[in-house]
Amino acid sequence: MPALEYPRLEETLHHERLDNGLDVFVLPKPGFTKTFAVLATRFGSADNRFRLADGREFAVPDGLAHFLEHKMFEEPDGDVFARFAANGASANAYTGFDQTVYLFSATRNVDRCLDILLDFVQSPYFTDANVEKEKGIIIQEIHMYRDNPDWRVYFGLLEALYHRHPVRIDIAGTPESVSSITKELLYECHRMFYHPSNMHLFVVGGVDPERTLETVRANQARKRFDPPAVFERVPADEPENAKEPMRQATLAVAMPKCYVGFKETDVALVGERAIRRDLVARIVLDALFSRSSPVYQDMYDEHLVFDSFGAQFTSGPGYAFSVIGGDTRDPGEMARRVTEAMERTAERGLDADVFERIRRKKIGAHLRLWNSPEAVAGEFVRFRHRGGDLFRVVELYESLTLEEANGWLRAHVHPSHRAVSVVRGDAS
Amino acid sequence: MNAEPFARGQSGRIRLHVLPTKKFKTYAIVLYAGVPLSEAEITRVALIPFVLGRGTASFPETLALREKLDSMYGAHFGYDVGKRGDHQVVQFRLDVINDRFVSSNTPLLREALALLGEVLTAPALEDGRFVARYVESEKKTVAQKLDAIINDKIRYAEKRCLEEMFRGEPYRLPALGRKEDLDGIDATSLHETYRRWLRNAAFDLYVVGDTCLEKVTTLVQGAFRLPDGPPGTYAPSLPRQAPPEPRTVEERLDVTQGKLNIGLRTPVTYAGPDYPALLVYNGLLGGFPHAKLFVNVREKASLAYYASSRLDGHKGVIMIQTGIEIANYAKALGIIREQLEAMRRGDFTEDDLAKTKEMLANQLTALQDNPFERIWFDFNASVAGAEHTAEELLAKVRAVAPDDVARVAQTVGLDTVYFLRDRKEETVHAGA
Repeated sequence: MPALEYPRLEETLHHERLDNGLDVFVLPKPGFTKTFAVLATRFGSADNRFRLADGREFAVPDGLAHFLEHKMFEEPDGDVFARFAANGASANAYTGFDQTVYLFSATRNVDRCLDILLDFVQSPYFTDANVEKEKGIIIQEIHMYRDNPDWRVYFGLLEALYHRHPVRIDIAGTPESVSSITKELLYECHRMFYHPSNMHLFVVGGVDPERTLETVRANQARKRFDPPAVFERVPADEPENAKEPMRQATLAVAMPKCYVGFKETDVALVGERAIRRDLVARIVLDALFSRSSPVYQDMYDEHLVFDSFGAQFTSGPGYAFSVIGGDTRDPGEMARRVTEAMERTAERGLDADVFERIRRKKIGAHLRLWNSPEAVAGEFVRFRHRGGDLFRVVELYESLTLEEANGWLRAHVHPSHRAVSVVRGDAS
Repeated sequence: MNAEPFARGQSGRIRLHVLPTKKFKTYAIVLYAGVPLSEAEITRVALIPFVLGRGTASFPETLALREKLDSMYGAHFGYDVGKRGDHQVVQFRLDVINDRFVSSNTPLLREALALLGEVLTAPALEDGRFVARYVESEKKTVAQKLDAIINDKIRYAEKRCLEEMFRGEPYRLPALGRKEDLDGIDATSLHETYRRWLRNAAFDLYVVGDTCLEKVTTLVQGAFRLPDGPPGTYAPSLPRQAPPEPRTVEERLDVTQGKLNIGLRTPVTYAGPDYPALLVYNGLLGGFPHAKLFVNVREKASLAYYASSRLDGHKGVIMIQTGIEIANYAKALGIIREQLEAMRRGDFTEDDLAKTKEMLANQLTALQDNPFERIWFDFNASVAGAEHTAEELLAKVRAVAPDDVARVAQTVGLDTVYFLRDRKEETVHAGA
């Protein structure tokens, strides 16, 4: 089992790929009482069209990955949560655009919990009755998000930016798409996307790496897997321009919410190049819009925005976009000021000393992440799915240049790649 | 796996709590400043940290202060106003990297404490009072935050339920106070409140990281310029009984999903001998995914995505919350009341009890890995006057017997049923 030393971080990562293709990583944190394990599959809400080995196309209903995540927790002999609880562990799961992640945290019985985690994610149990029952729960989850203005303004932006890419689809789907899901479809998707060779296991905390790996090896050796399904993702035929300039929704909110977003056109980046681009984007957006930026401070002083204002950059296979905004008394004015700030800076370039200051801030923020096993685990699998290495982030930050930052901003700010999303209270 | 203890000291009016440890890559610093909740002062006190965060004597301009934090490898500075029992507690947080991991020329812990001391005790002033432009600006921010509570319906329903439960007491108010009060506040009056607050508040400063009490004491002495006097104290709050019959409150807004909140009361509180049994009670009722509420409301009846209960041990309040289809109100309420009855009868299995204890053990043990959670736990215990560590509390939780839980369940009374629902039916009536 090779151990990778990261002396600057004072961390050592252990890695092994098992015969069945499962990638296992162990990061021991001496002195920590808690262990955190995540088992992640490269199957998320935006993975909805595939071409199979025989040339057939296979499409899944919206919300399938999320539905599957819910249903994995049910087993013939009851609920998985109860088995974790008997070992004092708390379990959870989440579905993103590109991955589904199952996790537990435990302070004892880690080996037993690892067995439970691997077993429940690798043994589907779906019946017509339990699939029907889950629809009621998920429809309530969809309703909960529909009433949530932050969620609405975010997905409103994605719907405006993207014509066809499935990133625009609500992760949980719609009541209609969820209603069409059957147990046969769930089994089929589990067979295709939950093969060990499509998954990573990352364990971090107060564990002995060799013992942990032995537990995982023994668990996997007890199971038989079919050969991995052969398929490729059908890329969405997504134009470069934004679908529409503006989306609006009405909801019971005290003050409007507004997000401005720009769609990135260079969406083919993978591995470290994609990570590098993301880090560049984050430095630039922070320099422009964080609480230490003059643009934010001016808008704040005019009570145009509040401390809910922020900027983020998100990317994955076939998509990448910035999101800037928050609560505002005047969405039109906020959108205008944000756009103007980006265009002005794209033209003039960032100041070198601002770039250095924000770079330093980002390195500090990244180092803080290593205090939190949960955060490290979540970020690690996210990076891994992109083909990047979380452990190299500090070095990457140090290697970035001002020219790269300015170049990225110039390419990013393009009027036809922009959209605005607004959620307002009912004026009537 | 005994956790390292906090070393305790004092510097003037500030109680010091330092946890020397090499486990983390940071120094976690929290300063708590608490005063009794007061109807007249709540909004003014809430506004203080917002204004203090705008500028200090050395960094009077907000941007310069924030650039300073950035240059300290992105020191994370934040503040928050909350309620702990019958106290309004302002919390300042600073999270800085241990210099060992970066090529820094200045010791970051010293800089961080110096900056925190200045934020608290040497704010930016003009003509001997707060900067008027900062006060006016932060009044708007607080007003916006109070308005925004309605955006998150889960939070809004909880706030409304608490308001109904604590009618006529200052505790009914959000920690940020009342929007109506803001108009009457100006730079002069707020500065007076601030100076009084500095003289009266109970101050607790926590540091977790690779340092020691002696070092922190020295750094604090130079950094905080507080009036002299003994440290302030916290008085435990007295819980109230639930009424014989619960009140029902219904409210209508533009929502798709109904929010059902049920407020319960118990005379058992944080420092009492039955608190460990109350923790187990809440865990069995709705604290975890194997709990009665999750299993019966969500898994069996398929009525909700979330159904849980949360305990406030300072006030003796348990809040049940769930989001449901509006037409299922009576059904959900019926199932929830059945669960409360079952708890009173001691109707839960040994197995569920064992699981609940394991889950509580996991929480109480795991908090050692997070510097801010360790601080939070220690401070909560000290506010309530409970002199236990997480390990000691855990030992008591493990000793809880089924009868203890049933006995605590007898003390839990239903106080308020709050339901937030849509406007649809109302519109039909109006049109008819």
